[in-house]
Amino acid sequence: MPAETHESRSPMERAEVVDLIRDRLADILEIDASSIAEGQSFVEDLQADSLALIELVEAIEEEVGERTVGFRIDDDDLEDLRTVRDAVDYVCAKLG
Amino acid sequence: MTLPVAVDAMGGDKAPADVVRGARQAADEFGVEVILVGRADEIAAVDPGDLAVLDCREVIGMHDEAGAAVRTKKDSSLVRAAELVRDGKASAMVSGGNTGAGMAAALLRMGRIRGVARPAIATPIPVPGASPTILLDSGANADCQPAWLVQFAQMGSAYCATRFGVERPKVALLSIGEEDTKGSTLVKEARELLREAPGLHFVGNVEGRDLMSDAADVVVTDGFTGNVTLKTMEGLFRWLQGALFGVMTATPDRQAAFDVLWPALQPLIAELEPDSYGGAVMLGVDGLCIISHGSSSPTAIANAVALARDMAAVDLVGALTASVSASSAS
Repeated sequence: MPAETHESRSPMERAEVVDLIRDRLADILEIDASSIAEGQSFVEDLQADSLALIELVEAIEEEVGERTVGFRIDDDDLEDLRTVRDAVDYVCAKLG
Repeated sequence: MTLPVAVDAMGGDKAPADVVRGARQAADEFGVEVILVGRADEIAAVDPGDLAVLDCREVIGMHDEAGAAVRTKKDSSLVRAAELVRDGKASAMVSGGNTGAGMAAALLRMGRIRGVARPAIATPIPVPGASPTILLDSGANADCQPAWLVQFAQMGSAYCATRFGVERPKVALLSIGEEDTKGSTLVKEARELLREAPGLHFVGNVEGRDLMSDAADVVVTDGFTGNVTLKTMEGLFRWLQGALFGVMTATPDRQAAFDVLWPALQPLIAELEPDSYGGAVMLGVDGLCIISHGSSSPTAIANAVALARDMAAVDLVGALTASVSASSAS
């Protein structure tokens, strides 16, 4: 079931989700956001370790949670999120 | 206003008993205001005196996976202690619990200093007659990139200057020889970056045997090598101490000689004793986090709490922030 959306703010478009994930990832990895492509894998291409990925997950939950009540990324789903695109698709699917 | 130091009462091999004793010792001997974080009923059972207690129900164990534990155990003593620092209710946190989870809790709750790629754990190695050598990373990042070691050097230098008053700390890279041709790929690449890094007083490679000399004030390495090095030194010290005591007290004659020597030996042993240094500081997170041994004695905890108070008083995080900012701008 999609998470409940705040009445005051519209749900996020896919492009917004892409920007959000790239920006947060860039902050965490100290790299340029423009260098991050959707097809890149977190571990092999971006050298993100497990702690960096958890930082990313918490940042996404915080930011998306401000617009969508109850938004959470399930821990069991984390291992399936291998690329930036996986994460974008996952967030978009949860937002419905 | 002086803020209290948050102590993870549930972290450590003999928690909460030894942690609470250490916290009380810090309050009684050093006048540090402490807030104990952990299961209130278990803390009450080991007599916390009049120390403040923040009750929380969960505990992150030594074998829990660090990141996952911090995400799932939000009411754990480690996470709550980090939140007290984040929320401005404590000046620093001290934990002898799961080191990886301590790092994750500090990183995820306090955040990183802007510009820091990875936080590192900095441990003082005693050098008799001189200021200690700061070894980092001593366990936070098992795998490191060459550029991270440069940042460790910058943060280690700022820490060394702030804590020990060394004006222009000598920085070295831990390797298996002084020559440029020796070392792993990481060491060779890091060496070139360190040599070119502005603002660092880089003196080249050192070997493990140089750590307890004045060859360098700050020695950088990856967290795997640093942790193995540290634990090897501590194990050797403890074994040697026990072996010497055993030999020197085995007969009445030797015991008599030992009694004469003991007053001279005691200060040296105290200087070398890891408990004296109060634990390691996590450098790079946007808050003060002191990591103690899981096997910390009450005295070690007390010294860690005092160190936390002192580093908050001199604004170590501010010094690190300024150092990283300056190196990013140059």
